[in-house]
Amino acid sequence: MAGNAVGLGNFLRFPRQAAANGGGSYMIAYFIALLLLGIPLMWIEWGVGRNGGRYRKGHLPGMFAALWKHPAAKYVGVVGMVVPLGVMIYYTYIESWTLAFAIFSATKDYWGLTTQEGMIGYLRSFQGLTPAGSTPVHASYTPYAFFTVTMLINIYVLSKGISGGIEKLAKIGMPILFLFAIVLAGVVLTLPAQPGVGATPAQGLEFIYAPDFSRLGSPGIWLAAAGQIFFTLSVGMGSLQAYASYLSTKDDIALNGIATAATNETAEVVLGGSIAIPAAVTFFGVAGAMQIAQGGSFDLGFATMPVVFQQIDKTLPIGNLLGVMWFGLLFFAGITSSVSMLTPITAFFREEFGIAREKVAWTLGAVCFSIGMLHVHWLGHGFLDEWDYWVGTFGLVLVAITEVVIFVWIFKPENAWKSIHMGADINIPKIFKFIMTYVTPIYLLVILTWWGKDEALPILLNQRSAGSSSPVTDVDMPFIMISRGILLLFVVVGLILIRMAWKRNGYDDRKGFVEILTNRAEV
Amino acid sequence: MSGGAIAFMAISWTFVLSLTAWSFAKLLTDKKHFDPDGIGPESPPEPPHAKKKTK
Repeated sequence: MAGNAVGLGNFLRFPRQAAANGGGSYMIAYFIALLLLGIPLMWIEWGVGRNGGRYRKGHLPGMFAALWKHPAAKYVGVVGMVVPLGVMIYYTYIESWTLAFAIFSATKDYWGLTTQEGMIGYLRSFQGLTPAGSTPVHASYTPYAFFTVTMLINIYVLSKGISGGIEKLAKIGMPILFLFAIVLAGVVLTLPAQPGVGATPAQGLEFIYAPDFSRLGSPGIWLAAAGQIFFTLSVGMGSLQAYASYLSTKDDIALNGIATAATNETAEVVLGGSIAIPAAVTFFGVAGAMQIAQGGSFDLGFATMPVVFQQIDKTLPIGNLLGVMWFGLLFFAGITSSVSMLTPITAFFREEFGIAREKVAWTLGAVCFSIGMLHVHWLGHGFLDEWDYWVGTFGLVLVAITEVVIFVWIFKPENAWKSIHMGADINIPKIFKFIMTYVTPIYLLVILTWWGKDEALPILLNQRSAGSSSPVTDVDMPFIMISRGILLLFVVVGLILIRMAWKRNGYDDRKGFVEILTNRAEV
Repeated sequence: MSGGAIAFMAISWTFVLSLTAWSFAKLLTDKKHFDPDGIGPESPPEPPHAKKKTK
């Protein structure tokens, strides 16, 4: 689970979010979101998943139907298949950047580029976004090739199953990533001030943590903090539930849930916050770091860390090796997350249609690859931003709110509380029962309403684009509409498949499923 | 670094590191299972001092 939670969000997305949203004040909103949304939802998702596993259901349509004996329950669960599928497709694309930069580090491809302009130009060239009139550094097929390889690795790991694939990766990769991140944070925090810039790593930490309380009244900070908590803990993606469905009622989820969240937070706050931003400020100054941070959610790490490795190389000639290790480990951390996103939909096809895992994995892979190619090809037209907004932001909250309502309200708080405590190693403080029942759903509803009013509606009406505050241009409009159309198609196909599955297996919505006596993991 | 930034950083780090240390200490050392039969607890576990009193 920790392998699933620790990923690109910790080291690439969090520092940028903290820096762009008011530093210390963002951290207040961030920790409130962790306590009132992240940790309660972690327990809820593990509880929903393990309860579903008792009926051999590893997907949200089945898990919801097990909790709520109503014909609508299974259809509501479609969000738990569409959202992780959608996120996985573009997440894999970002993941392919880490693989590319691991190779570029090995070959010293970016060696000599130590300025902000140089590194941003290099990144844009790789993304196929070199401005007209400039010559790109990379061949045009480069991003396609890396995306293809990344997708193939993902699908191969998925086809081998959870114990055979992800667990092995997580057991080996996570401790190494942790240790390496500690060493790298130590190196970054002791970097000397650079000539011509004059900034130090301490100023980078100041940039993240200096409190600006005036910004706490802005809805943007609260939305960004909640969004980061969802993204980083993999909450609202259906994957935690799919993993938890393999646990028995004698297994603990209370202590393991909090341990997973805490591990992820250590990786994010302590390590993630001490690497990219302090390095960016040291080499490019506060203004430069801010400029890169505003350029894209994941750009900062790719534009900054190569300069750090070149700097280290001046005193210790292993800079490129460190680059390979850093981007390589991020790549593996990304794989554990992206593979987990396809687990719910794989479980659906296996359990409801009896299709073999390998067949499902490669068929899904073909779909993800085809649509992922559109992301690579149309990155400059806002295709990815639109997708990221609807599935990666709005969708996560939607999944979370449906499961809170079904697990806590419909299944009843007493039952939910008892379910979470089955096999528990700790007794969760009772205040969290109140938080899960009232605070978390109200918090989610407020966020959803806020987003709806301030962002979702203007974006839906094309008054502004999902990636920036400027309106959608006529050139980009067709790509935005295709992006939305594909997502809508996913929902429609998902609903049809759920209907087919229930009909095929003769499920009675009012009676529910027959509980199995053996644990799924033992079957 | 300013005093405010140091304070925020110290509080943030202390919180997450303490939570991680506590949860892993529990996972690795506390062998006592709160709900060993997996059917859900009837009532919360008694604190250790309460048990001593009954003896």
